[in-house]
Amino acid sequence: MHSSQQSTAFLNIIEENKGIIYKIANSYCLDSEDRNDLIQEIMIQLWLAFGKYDSRFRISTWMYRIALNVAISFYRKEHRRYQLNQPLSDNLLYLRESPAPDDEELLNSMHRFIRELKEIDRAIILLYLDGNPQQDIAEVLGISVSNVSTRVGRIKQQLRQKLSTLKP
Amino acid sequence: MQDAEIISLWKSYDNKLNQYLQLSRKNTEEITGLKVQSFISSMKPVKIFTILAGLIWVGFVDLLIIGLWHTGSPFFLVSAIIQVLLTKAAITIYLYQLYLIYQVDSAMPIVKTQEKLARLKTSTLWVARLLFLQLPLWTTFYLNSGMLSGGGPWGWYLLQAVVTLLFLIPAIWLFVNIRFENRHKKWFRLIFEGKEWSPLMKSMEMLEQLNEYREQNTSQNHPDEK
Repeated sequence: MHSSQQSTAFLNIIEENKGIIYKIANSYCLDSEDRNDLIQEIMIQLWLAFGKYDSRFRISTWMYRIALNVAISFYRKEHRRYQLNQPLSDNLLYLRESPAPDDEELLNSMHRFIRELKEIDRAIILLYLDGNPQQDIAEVLGISVSNVSTRVGRIKQQLRQKLSTLKP
Repeated sequence: MQDAEIISLWKSYDNKLNQYLQLSRKNTEEITGLKVQSFISSMKPVKIFTILAGLIWVGFVDLLIIGLWHTGSPFFLVSAIIQVLLTKAAITIYLYQLYLIYQVDSAMPIVKTQEKLARLKTSTLWVARLLFLQLPLWTTFYLNSGMLSGGGPWGWYLLQAVVTLLFLIPAIWLFVNIRFENRHKKWFRLIFEGKEWSPLMKSMEMLEQLNEYREQNTSQNHPDEK
């Protein structure tokens, strides 16, 4: 693919799936500066891997894998696999204005619960909440479907308990 | 709260996010100008400096050994040779691990990728083990045959023996016991405390998490096995 075509194709894919990147970054970084750094790092890794994208896999599976791998290992900043000719802009993905959700307290509690989970469990619940079938979750993670089912069940149980105390 | 309500709550958040989330196409386009950097130039400057300092040190000691081969004390030569071999091994292992980490493909399944990264990181424990092992050599390199020929006060010999043993016993003990299995021990956490060790400690926590997933995978695939 010609490089400007590739660039356009990449930007279109990011535009279509920007929610995935933001939700993952938001779940793994509470601090907004760290979140911006993570978003930038995820997009960079997606771009660097874009040339090797295997179209046998769905684009969302590919994106989830890279974004979650980057987010989970974000604390370990050993390498940058890219050359910075000039500093990159910080704000790649941002909220135009803060949305006022209907069940703000419940949602905040849900976010807090997700952030308290261990890294791999966090990945599982994010994939589940985004409506991915268990087969797809298993594929992203590289574990069995029954393992996913057990884990999802356990996490949902904990989440239900947490949210039930808040719901009137 | 029912599952359907949880999903509905998340969906409403998702819808609002799609409404208000903005991608800066212009800023994102800068990323498409990036190319993969070579392994060496991808390393942070402080890491490059540390490795260079290590290489300069081993080069210097190698030159000393060669220069003093015929005239130097056997204690110095043996101590220096062992010390430089251990340092070279530590540098080689360290560089190899960094290279393997650089090679890891983040498009692979998460559990596999994270396990690979975490194991690579925790294998830097080998570097610490090798570096501790060279401690007693710093109590023997200055000795020569004249010192040990029996002409000196016995107190000196006793002191020398005690000092060398004080370094040798902990060095061997640490070489044997600095292992992943001992990560919860107090002495382990004392040695590997601090910001620079945080990635290592977090990698070990990650391996624990991954062990749980692996055990669950095994017990579900082979329910009759224990």
